[in-house]
Parts: sequence; C-alpha cells; structure tokens
Amino acid sequence: MNSAKALRSLYKSSPYSQTPLCDFLLPSFTQVTSRRDYASITTSSESPKTEPAPEALKSETTAKRRRPLTKEQQQFLDSALRVNQAGELAAVLIYRHQTPPITRSHPHLRPLMHHMYSQEAGHFSTFNALLAKHRIRPTAMYPVWTAAASTLGWVTGLMGREAAMACTEAVETEIGGHYNGQVRVLLSWLKEMEEKGEEVGEELRELVDTLKRIRDEELEHLDEAVGEGAKEARPYELLNRAIRSGCKGAIWISERV
Amino acid sequence: MSIFRLLQATCSKPPSRLYSSSNFVPSCGLSCGRFYHSYEHDRPPPFSPTEDRILSAALSHVPTHGFTTTALTQGARAAGYLDISTNLFPAGPFSIVNYHLVTQRLALAKDVTPARHDPIKIPTNINKLILRRLHANKAIIHRWQEALALLATPTRLPTSLRELALLSDEILFLAGSTDVTSVWYTNRAGLAVIYASAELFMTTDTSENFVETEEFLARRLEEGEKIKSFVGGVGTWAGIQAGGFVDGMRSKGVRI
Ligand SMILES: [Fe+2]
Ligand SMILES: [Fe+2]
Repeated sequence: MNSAKALRSLYKSSPYSQTPLCDFLLPSFTQVTSRRDYASITTSSESPKTEPAPEALKSETTAKRRRPLTKEQQQFLDSALRVNQAGELAAVLIYRHQTPPITRSHPHLRPLMHHMYSQEAGHFSTFNALLAKHRIRPTAMYPVWTAAASTLGWVTGLMGREAAMACTEAVETEIGGHYNGQVRVLLSWLKEMEEKGEEVGEELRELVDTLKRIRDEELEHLDEAVGEGAKEARPYELLNRAIRSGCKGAIWISERV
Repeated sequence: MSIFRLLQATCSKPPSRLYSSSNFVPSCGLSCGRFYHSYEHDRPPPFSPTEDRILSAALSHVPTHGFTTTALTQGARAAGYLDISTNLFPAGPFSIVNYHLVTQRLALAKDVTPARHDPIKIPTNINKLILRRLHANKAIIHRWQEALALLATPTRLPTSLRELALLSDEILFLAGSTDVTSVWYTNRAGLAVIYASAELFMTTDTSENFVETEEFLARRLEEGEKIKSFVGGVGTWAGIQAGGFVDGMRSKGVRI
C-alpha cells in the first residue's frame, strides 16, 4: 500500500513520465500532472465584472519576474495556450465555411460575418505567435480539428442563418467560458504573487490583458449571434447541446494531446 | 488498436531501472526546454556543482579511456574526490554520455542567438546548426560509437530519444522556425532522424575536417526537403478532400 503510493509519487516526479516518442507520435493521455487539478476550473461563467483586479495588473513597471514560474504554472500555460490555438483554428474555419452560403441568402449579414471572421483570424495569429515564442507544441489533433471545424461550419452554413448563429452562440459560450476560466486562474496567481511581494513580470501581465481582450470579443460574438436569431434555430436545443458537448470534448482532448 | 496500446504502454511505463538514479539526469527534468518557455528568468543549471566537476573531468579522460568506468573514476580523482564518489552515478559511463549531450545542447542554445523568422533562410540555418553541434563531437569522435552503443541500450533508449527530441526542438527554434501547425511534429521527427544519421556517419568519416560528413548532411537535408514537399503535397491533397472540396465546388459555381 505504502510502497504503491511511493511508487506513484516517484512516477509523478519522474522525468520519464513523458518520452519523446509520445511527444512526436502519441502525446500521452496518461500524463500524471497536476494540470488536471486545474482542468475543472478552466471554465467559468462568472461575470467578468466580479473578477479580482490585482494592483499588479496596472503596474507601470516593465520589470522582469525574478522567480521562475512553478512547474504546475508552466504546465497550465502550456496546455491552456495549446487549447486556445486549436479553438481559434476551429473558429476561423467555421466562419470561413459559413460565410458564402449565409451572405448569399442574407447580404445584410456580410459586414457582421466579415467582422467576426477577421477578429477570429486575429486571435488565431496571436496564439500562433505565442506558441512559437514560448515553444509550446501544437495539438496533435490539428488535422482532425481542421476537418471537424470545416464540416461544422459548412453544415450549419447550409442549414441557414439561424443554425449558423446557433452554432456561433454555442461555440462562443464554451470558448468564452474557457477564456474566462483562464483569466481567473491567472488573476489568482497575480494576486498570490502580489501578496508575497513578488514581481509579476511583463509576460504574465500582457498575457492576462490579451486573454481578457479576446474573451470580451468572443462574448460580443455571442451577443451578436443571439441578436441575429440564434434562438430561433430548429432544432435549437439539439444543435446547442451537440455543439457545446463537441467543444467540451475537443477542449478536453486538446489539453492532453 | 494494438499498436495504439503498445505506444500508450511505452509512453506511460517509466523505465524502472532509470529513475532510482536521478543523478545523471538534468535536475530540472522536464522543465528544461519543455512546457511554457519563459523569457523572464534563467533556467536552473542541469547538474549540481559536484556532478559538473566530476563529469566534465571524466569527459576529458574519454579520448584515452573511452566511455568507461575508468574514465569516470579518473574524472572523480582529477576533480579531487574519492573513487567511491562514482557511486553518485549509478548509470556509470552512460552519465558521461548524457553529460556531453546535455551540456552541448545547452551550449548551442547559449551561444547562438535565435534567428529571426525567415522561411528562406531556415534550411541553411538548420544546416549550420547541425554542423556546429556535430563539430562539438570532434574531440571524442573516435570514441563516439561506444557512446552510441550505450545510448541504444533498451533501458537508456527513452533518455536518449528524449535528448534527441530536445536537440531537434532547440535547432528548429534557433533556426527561426515558427511553424505551429501539424508540421511541427514532422519537422522535429525528420530533423531527429537526419541528425542521428549524420552523427553516425561522422564516426566513420576520415576526411579532412569532416567534409564528407558535411556533404552527407547536405544530401540528407535536401532529401528531407523533397520528402517534406511531398508530404505537404499529400496534406494539401487531403485538405482538398476534406474542407477544400467545398471551396473547389464553390469556385465551380456550385451553390453550396
Ligand atoms: Fe476567437
Ligand atoms: Fe469568436
């Protein structure tokens, strides 16, 4: 009993729990990391107005953080940014494939579709740059998400305006909640650092700002979709539930592989 | 499915003999070059000062004694430690190999400024970086086949592959590659294969200043580029079959 426990803790601290074979060929589902502890709180539906606002956020200094981030924090950022990139890839593809049929039958939606598409393209390139900069691997499911998102965009686009908007609503609800959760985790770190009198550092401060901005844009998309008749889609309940659980599954997988 | 299971098992099963001896492994483990890379602090050194002194001294005995326990003992003595201190390294001579690999990879990262992203220059950058790394093997090249044998031992293989993966990642980063699509995986796997084969070739190279290795490497990289464009072609083709199909039909005037 005790030895099994010891073995597990040894395994957790062992650098071999992830071999390069897994990095290249099959990133492991079985990684034993504390990242899982975070997984449940990376989604939050709390209003942005209630989130803590540590003083450090407004600090004008451009000082570097002197203490290294903990391994758990590094792992959290690693998988969070990976999921975000995958999500934005999907968003870009969904809008790209929805746009032609939707704007054909509803020309007045052209500016809105274009506006949302270009914001998603901006998000996507932001996360691409962050991944390259912080040397984070993209999700191994990249080709799968590409195909799935294109199909989803194409199908809901063909189903008409309401279905397309219901798709946007469902996706943005999940994604918005996801960013919201991440912002909250980062803010709680900032608060903790502040209480310990540590320098937060430009990197984290900038990241919180980026995530907040993108979160707000996603929530705007959500409102716009509802305004354009998302709730009138038939069958709304089914579409909403199917797409949202699809998003949840995709997030779960991308955090891991 | 069974292959999937097998891979999964390889991934999740830690090699049991390895982790009782964490001494020869970088103390920072996975956080060296893994996970979110922050620019705001220095990374912890991979070896303790004692390990560093003994292993670097041992390495200087490798040209005469090879990657052997003798070199390790000589190293300990030269660094002013008792022979018994080689107990610090249960992995024995393999610790010297690992020390060489880790320190040379970190030296590359330290000495080379990451190139700005410029797609045209990436292949040349990669070529230069691999050569630079290979030249760091010069002093011990006549002993390197012993090292390769140690690296290929089943119990050491995970460590060896991991180190190779970290080197590929380092080289691509320094070369200015910012690709974060699925190409990320093929790039790293391909580079690892090319590097490993060039390294092996170099152990048999008797030419002046290893020009033959240089030519060998250039050929492999060129082939790699061809394969890559072929694979890229397949990827595009698959893309056309999936999402691109719709665009293709649309361009033909089909209202979908
Ligand atoms: Fe977005
Ligand atoms: Fe969005």
